[in-house]
Amino acid sequence: MKKKVLAILMSSTMILGTLAGCGGGAESTEAPAETATEEASEETTEVAAAETSEETTEEAAEETQETEAAEETAATGDFSGEDPQLEKDFHILSIWAEDNDNGVLINNICKAYQEVNPNFTYEYELVSSDDLRQKVATLVASNDLPDMFVYESGKPIVDLIEADQIVDIGAMLEEIGSTDFVTPSATSLLETLSGTDTIYDLPLGLNVEGFWYNKALFEQAGITEAPATWDEFEEDLAKLKDAGIQPLSCGAADKWGATRLINAYTVRSLGADALKNAAEGKTSYTDEGYVAAAAKVQEWADKGYFGEGVNTVDMNTAGSMLMTGKSAIFYNGSWFASNLNDESANAAGEDGIGFFNIPVVDESVSAIDSYSMNCGNILCLSKAKEDEATKWFVKYFVEHIGDEAMTTQGSIKGYTYSTQASDMTAYTKLVLDEIGKAQSAFTWYEATMNSEISDAAQSNVQMLLSGEMTPEDYMQSIQDAADMSALE
Amino acid sequence: MKKVLGNKGAIGLFVIPALILYSIIVILPVLWSFYYSFFSGSPGLKWEFSGTKNYIQILSDKNFRNSLIVNLKYIGIVMIGQVGGGLLMALMFRFWLRRFKNIVRTIVFFPVVLPTVAVGQLFAKIYEIQPSYGLLNSILNAVGLSALVQPWIGQASTALGALEVMDIWTGIGFHSIILYGALLDIPDDVIEAGRIDGCNGFNLFRHILAPLLRPMIITCMVFSFSGTVKLFESALALTNGGPGNATRSLSMYMYSVAFTYNKVGYGSVIAIFIFLLCITGSKIINLFDKKESYY
Repeated sequence: MKKKVLAILMSSTMILGTLAGCGGGAESTEAPAETATEEASEETTEVAAAETSEETTEEAAEETQETEAAEETAATGDFSGEDPQLEKDFHILSIWAEDNDNGVLINNICKAYQEVNPNFTYEYELVSSDDLRQKVATLVASNDLPDMFVYESGKPIVDLIEADQIVDIGAMLEEIGSTDFVTPSATSLLETLSGTDTIYDLPLGLNVEGFWYNKALFEQAGITEAPATWDEFEEDLAKLKDAGIQPLSCGAADKWGATRLINAYTVRSLGADALKNAAEGKTSYTDEGYVAAAAKVQEWADKGYFGEGVNTVDMNTAGSMLMTGKSAIFYNGSWFASNLNDESANAAGEDGIGFFNIPVVDESVSAIDSYSMNCGNILCLSKAKEDEATKWFVKYFVEHIGDEAMTTQGSIKGYTYSTQASDMTAYTKLVLDEIGKAQSAFTWYEATMNSEISDAAQSNVQMLLSGEMTPEDYMQSIQDAADMSALE
Repeated sequence: MKKVLGNKGAIGLFVIPALILYSIIVILPVLWSFYYSFFSGSPGLKWEFSGTKNYIQILSDKNFRNSLIVNLKYIGIVMIGQVGGGLLMALMFRFWLRRFKNIVRTIVFFPVVLPTVAVGQLFAKIYEIQPSYGLLNSILNAVGLSALVQPWIGQASTALGALEVMDIWTGIGFHSIILYGALLDIPDDVIEAGRIDGCNGFNLFRHILAPLLRPMIITCMVFSFSGTVKLFESALALTNGGPGNATRSLSMYMYSVAFTYNKVGYGSVIAIFIFLLCITGSKIINLFDKKESYY
């Protein structure tokens, strides 16, 4: 009997433990937030979560009216003169450590701004990129978004716009007279991604994507020129395979590496708005053209173009396979240049790797000067925390980050710049050239999908590659997820 | 002593503080989940009362069904592997390796103390196929079974098996140590007597050891069940739920639904289901326990 009691006790504790994990999930993420927001009373964090959600909409509605009214009066405010040195404690939520990537830039800008405005203090909080959406959702729930936070463009930001949580940055830039400092291509890309006619976010990158290739291996297979049309591309793949070289490496363990390939063919054969149409229900994901693109990628997998076990290879491994000459072609964005610039990792050397844009299927549908582009992660501003001091900071930020990025990292972030990096490498130049060639842009496969659909597209792509799912079933699974999420 | 425990006030004094604490950190979140399950969306973003819609939706959710099947298969195999394998190993220590028991016990217990993520990385390397063969594929290749070389965790047909092997390897030591302890408690003279009466090895186990070990086996099964039903971190570390959804457990699905798809309400329904699954599972295990009283 005692054992029975013990067994029941133990099992129930563990069960409850599991559940406590589920139920408490939302709360537990609060913990790190609390350090940053000590003032926010603990009651609001959890108990009031449900209430605040109702209140938020009302409050937000009120606030919009207020801010609109305020903007009208503040429109007379002059942002052209000297910084008024307003006092401000600025909270920033980021996914990059202070000594890494964009983290360096944001911190440098903040420190430089402190010299202009000594009353400006800032707090830089870090969250892992996997937890970002969840963190922001929690902060929205507790009505405590930080002044500035990193977020994802595309569908995720649309939710925040609809909930009226973030600042219309287009209007703000207009007001502070800094519109020209964000490049038109970045602005139009951000507008497309959020489906609005103004921007609600600041770019933190401007990347093109395409195929990186190993020049030595191309030569070895007797290929003289990078392919421009899809037919040439497939011929080259076959030639490489015949020469005993693995034609493609693809980081299908990271999933998006594989869906990008489907995207490449979909856009080139159906046009830049193919996926938008499917997302809006004008077409179905199961239509012939979409299935054909999935079938194309599966065909490559069947032919062994990706080598063995493509699903176990992550993007880093796939990239190093290209650099060490184990595979000839690798699809990735222009950010891959930073790996190529790393001499210890890049065995192919300074001129060993080349880049070509996604080959064209039909010139009239999607031309070669159309690139797959993205703005990486973006920066949003909390509507509730916006004030005069924020505007002055944003003004400084957009006017200086272009130069800062160019001088310290040799990279383009979507802002105008007036300096040149002192020691630009061949790969950085190559990327700048490609970005310059772009006349129009299209987005990635999941840009128009919400997280549920994109999850289906990404996880099932592995089944497609391993041949355990037909292209029809694959596209059907995406359509199913779209139907499922439309239920809400 | 009796006087103290007979006093209701005293009992209250002992019990109530713990009860309050337990309620706040355990029972309250459960009720909270239950309350959430009647809402759609995520708190702060489109959070609306939706009645029993979530409960109806779960009935036709293919992903949910798929995760449930994965979870049940995993529970079945891993429980048998961990407890059954643990029992075999315990018997082995007791009868064959008694002289080396300390060394063997340390070796066998070693995987238990390794962090799950490290184990996941380790096995990912063992199963590796590209860019170079991992341990398993190298061995297969070396002994001339190159036809069997395959992406073990890169295809749906073998991924769950690969994960199960990993978790059996991790958990088996723990169970074998518990059962070995129980075996040592069985007096030698009982075994001796059985032998004199002409028991062979199997009968000795069937009629003497197994009944005496029953309570401990059930405890092990409860441990194993509660460990496997919440399958999460090991699958996350080895396959991240993939390929496809081949190794996505209920709790992983719940996590995605609640925090990635921003449907906390629907996620709570899945959590409630896991709760029911746990209760049913422990009920079934307890059925074995009841039999004990008939002996």
